[in-house]
Amino acid sequence: MIKTRTWIIVIAAVALVAGALSLWLFSARTGTVVEIVQDGTVIEEIDLLRVREAYRFTVTSSDGGENVVLVQPGRVCVESADCPDKICVQRGWLTDEPTPIVCLPHRLVIRSKSASGADAATQ
Amino acid sequence: MVKRLTKAALLTALALILFTVEAQIPPVVPIPGVKLGLANIVTVYAMFAMTPWEALAILLVRIFLGSVFAGSMSAILYSLSGGLLCWLVMLPLRKLLTEKQLWVASVFGAIFHNVGQTLAAMAILQTASVAVYLPILLLSGVVTGLFTGLCAQFALRRLQKLTGTK
Repeated sequence: MIKTRTWIIVIAAVALVAGALSLWLFSARTGTVVEIVQDGTVIEEIDLLRVREAYRFTVTSSDGGENVVLVQPGRVCVESADCPDKICVQRGWLTDEPTPIVCLPHRLVIRSKSASGADAATQ
Repeated sequence: MVKRLTKAALLTALALILFTVEAQIPPVVPIPGVKLGLANIVTVYAMFAMTPWEALAILLVRIFLGSVFAGSMSAILYSLSGGLLCWLVMLPLRKLLTEKQLWVASVFGAIFHNVGQTLAAMAILQTASVAVYLPILLLSGVVTGLFTGLCAQFALRRLQKLTGTK
């Protein structure tokens, strides 16, 4: 049997690496050009720095779900949605960070464009 | 046989209650995929108190019925890929761990559950962007897995004392 101490060290190492990566991700900046992606297709591209006046629009998913996207100078958020968990609304404003706004039930992603570079390899 | 079946049915019902109750609580952190995973207590318990196949049956029935009752069939794919990966990683750990190390299986189970969830999200959303959340999900897996694992470990110990079985 493997000693409990060994397991603790292994798990602590995983937590430490994941924690360091999370910190790095939260402090990273990837640019102000954002993409609105639905079902894997980019439906809208916005340079947040070029937005002069706030506007909103509704994104409707293939099964009828709705997300209201609010765009302001320098930032974007999901203002309201009819998904069950509302995680996309709670997530708040996206400015230039790599962590995207995700609405899993409606398959909607709002992400910083340069953070999507990894996608080229998967598609 | 009847006794085992009854026990499995009871555990499935218990897991289903935990799953449904947890689904009613609004998400604490606005990060997609982060949750306590209370039903995992039952999966880990069954993994050690019963056979792995019985644990798998309990897991699959709970996921299916849970998605029906919680009313979101779209979430079933995330639960399935997460649950299956969790079960797969606990399978070898079952033999490797003592009863006092049961929580270790739960931590690894939770970590791999979140990996499976992320893979499902990448496939469903057809974008790799969601993988950005993986480090945070791994960290949350360690924390929630530790909690549910300790719950399962205590439950196993108390129930053994209560019924006098080993």
